[in-house]
Amino acid sequence: MVGRKKVSGKIIVLIILIIGTIWAGFPIFWMIDNSFKPNAEIFAKPPIWFSKSFNFEAYAKIFQNPTEIRFFLNSYLVTACVVVLTLVIGLLAAYSFSRFDFPGKKVINTIIVAVQAVPPITLLIPYLSLIVAIKLYNTLFALILTYLVTTLPYCILMMTGYFNTIPKSLDEAVKIDGGSTWTALWKILVPTAVPGMVSVGMYTFMNAWNEYLFALALTKTNDMRTVPVGINLLMGQHAYEWNQMMAMSVLGSLPVLVLFLIFQKYFIAGMTAGAVKN
Amino acid sequence: MRYNRFSKAMTYGLAGAMALGLGVGGTAFAGETEASAPASDVTLEFQQWWGVELPDGALDEICKGFTDKTGIKIETLSNPYADTKTQIAAGAAAGTMADVVGLDGSWVYDFAKQGAIANLSDLMKADSYDDSQLSDQIKYEGSTYMIPVVNFAYPLYYNKDILDKAGVTEVPSTWTEFLDACQKIKDNTDAAGYCIPLNTEAPNGIQNQFSSWVWASGGSLLKDGKPSLTDNETLTKVTELFKTMYDKGYLSSGVEAMKEQDMVNEFENGRLAFMVDGISHLTTITKESPDINFDYAKMPVMDGFTGKSGMDVANWGIGIAENCEHKTEAMQFVEYLMSPEINAKLAQLANAFPGNSNAKPDYSSNDERFQKAYEFFNEGYAINEFTGAPTAEDLMRSFNEQLVLFLDGDTSSSADALSAIQGEWQSVYGS
Amino acid sequence: MSNTRFKWDKKGRRRIGISYAYLAPTLILMVILLMVPIIMVIRYSFFDNVIVNKNPVFVGLQNYKTVLTDKKFWEAVGHTLYFVIVSIIAHMIIGMAFALVLNTRYLSSTTKGIFRVLFALPWMFTASVIAILWRMLLDPNGVLNFFIQALHLSKQQVLFLASRDVALRSVTLINIWSGYPFYMISILAGLQGVSTDIYEASALDGANSVQTFLHVTIPSIKPILISLIMLDFVWTLQQFALIWMTTGGGPVNATETVSTYIYKYAFTKYQYSIASTGAVILLIVCTIIGIFYVKRQIAEE
Repeated sequence: MVGRKKVSGKIIVLIILIIGTIWAGFPIFWMIDNSFKPNAEIFAKPPIWFSKSFNFEAYAKIFQNPTEIRFFLNSYLVTACVVVLTLVIGLLAAYSFSRFDFPGKKVINTIIVAVQAVPPITLLIPYLSLIVAIKLYNTLFALILTYLVTTLPYCILMMTGYFNTIPKSLDEAVKIDGGSTWTALWKILVPTAVPGMVSVGMYTFMNAWNEYLFALALTKTNDMRTVPVGINLLMGQHAYEWNQMMAMSVLGSLPVLVLFLIFQKYFIAGMTAGAVKN
Repeated sequence: MRYNRFSKAMTYGLAGAMALGLGVGGTAFAGETEASAPASDVTLEFQQWWGVELPDGALDEICKGFTDKTGIKIETLSNPYADTKTQIAAGAAAGTMADVVGLDGSWVYDFAKQGAIANLSDLMKADSYDDSQLSDQIKYEGSTYMIPVVNFAYPLYYNKDILDKAGVTEVPSTWTEFLDACQKIKDNTDAAGYCIPLNTEAPNGIQNQFSSWVWASGGSLLKDGKPSLTDNETLTKVTELFKTMYDKGYLSSGVEAMKEQDMVNEFENGRLAFMVDGISHLTTITKESPDINFDYAKMPVMDGFTGKSGMDVANWGIGIAENCEHKTEAMQFVEYLMSPEINAKLAQLANAFPGNSNAKPDYSSNDERFQKAYEFFNEGYAINEFTGAPTAEDLMRSFNEQLVLFLDGDTSSSADALSAIQGEWQSVYGS
Repeated sequence: MSNTRFKWDKKGRRRIGISYAYLAPTLILMVILLMVPIIMVIRYSFFDNVIVNKNPVFVGLQNYKTVLTDKKFWEAVGHTLYFVIVSIIAHMIIGMAFALVLNTRYLSSTTKGIFRVLFALPWMFTASVIAILWRMLLDPNGVLNFFIQALHLSKQQVLFLASRDVALRSVTLINIWSGYPFYMISILAGLQGVSTDIYEASALDGANSVQTFLHVTIPSIKPILISLIMLDFVWTLQQFALIWMTTGGGPVNATETVSTYIYKYAFTKYQYSIASTGAVILLIVCTIIGIFYVKRQIAEE
């Protein structure tokens, strides 16, 4: 009985893995595959699965172009600052929302939810005027602030959610032992919520890394441009430079993949449960 | 006690973050353009999409020629067309437009109305510039706001191999011949006859792949500068021609979602026999698909039409930002680009026709097909009724939507479709 | 009225002070960088054609009347609702299924690691790349149509983006593909917080896996699920880049959503006031959602 249940469970898992692999993987396989094809082969009938003109020229081209390297440096710098600042500021706010009750909490919380609703495109013009007025136009700092303020609400809401799953008794215990709220946050809540921080961090990274509209409008010169704007440079009026676009996307996502792999261990079931027990 | 420690930590944290921010914003991150330049050496920013389409480094070299002559530095900010448009539109609203900007004829009205681009008539007068050498000037309320630097013609491209395979021996010169050729192509090949990109993101298909047929047969969309879409014989017939092509399956499948790039892609891959497209694509098509055997032809005209044909042109126009602090120097740069010698060079590089009527480009090194297109251009007249029109892109979009409804059979007659567009256009022109 | 909830003695005030101190950096940033532009947008919505007109005139609620009586606006609302609701449901199902699979005991941690990365891949690309990729896949001559014809699912090419009947579904599909990893990763993170003890207790009670899922897993990660749904709602509501770059809101207006509607007003009709009005309407809708969310949260406490 138990054995049969286990087998059927395994089969379901296997089926989902196969479907998931096709669903997530095929479009990406196709994109990478096409990046190695000459233009004429892309829509060939029947499809050409493996092109004969396979090479890594596109990657080499990026590394030889100082402007494009600059795009990457800018993007990495902006994104790293945004992830760190969002997490730090967001954790503090989430802690306040999760563990305190104070007048205005409802209002602030509602505002945090609602402000995300305004399509960024409509904010663009007043926001641009504001950035010009505070003399940050065409600086990376403007981009950092922009992404910070757009990812913060998400970080706060999600981290509040994660903190709420952690029993209050744990940080109460710290306080009984004479620790401050500050200690409770960093010693108990933060270590327990690491998987949540990893997921929020990934989200923040992706948002800051892929944002295009503000990156285009808030900067003017190539030395302040980021990767998405660079990718669009490869989409000319008539032809797509597929291989280079792909190469830039892959190179852009590598750091987050690496970080994700490093933090993988926090996703191992039971680990946090153990921490809670102790 | 505890509270104190906490607030201390907070203060340090905030101060640290701010110091980081300020340091970063003030020094390392500041754009190179922000460096304060001595008043004597002026740097002009020149924002356009031309640099992306010209051979690598060509535009910078032309700008360098100006710097060598005048000492005024030019910083080129080159981005693709759509990005340039977004940046200029945002810059127009926030006052951050670059000093000198590349403009499309269809944007002029809106930016001039907003007061975002400078009145060039005044600047030319101040400089006592002889504007009779300019082949065209785009005006708003009687004053010039854009000067076309070079012009691109939109001839008919055709794929010789597909026509051979289909058994079409003569390139069609009338609509009947054209429809006949399309039928043969449909019967004997896998290719489509014609294509019109109708994606609503960029509705230029109405201008370049639809209206070009109207203009080629001497027709017009406007009368005395106002929309005249109803009781317009040529336009009605062109609209019905497209319906015939659509119903008989001569058009590429999925035109409703296609963009211009997709159409060019179809042509490059030998799946499209005819297309109307800018000559600027000559080089890229030759480079991307050396195997495609194509040539230019005159646009087929309505049966019985014998007059002069209008040829659709698009241009790289230039304007000066109202917020530019060095308008005199900017005008000098515009005059430099328009000078016969430089203008000829730019036209030659871009596979375009010069905006200065005295410029004599040397096209001998260009593709011979280009020279053929140049002949067609000289035989007819240049026309683009969307240049300088109010909210031109929106006009095209409303036309696009009604055309799709008509092609799909939702609108029962071409007269209904056109009067619906007339209504929408009038509300724009009326205000 | 609600002030009775707070103690205004010295200790109470200090506690309120602490909670605001934690919030301070967030509040400063949001007030300067978000509230100021939002207030400007709200202001625009009460004026006649701002930005283009040098001296805009106050017109009261005229712009709201224009937008709310526009048939095209309501069509856009309908499309948006379809797009948002279908996206959220699909995101939730796919994200949950993948997260549960990646959390089972049946797989080794290396296998889990590999699939975790594989399934998260759609997240890695900027919207313009996703748009081009899917336009290529869904092309009448594209690879998907090749499979459809090879498997004899349809005789004719399926015009995924060009047909007015299918376009909205296609665009929604693209959005589902690009958005589910965010659910998957977030739920996975939430599942780590569920103590294994609870599962063991539930297994001892003789509960089967479906019962465990419904009575143990879901309630444990409920705060995260609710946050996810609400955030996804708010974001999908204003999803712009994907739709704009695949169909531009067309054919005709088959995929026109509120955000493309707003964009067209702002950047091709240059009527920023109307565009701002549309934005304010979205803001109001989301404020209402925000209020419900917060009410729920407080009720739970």
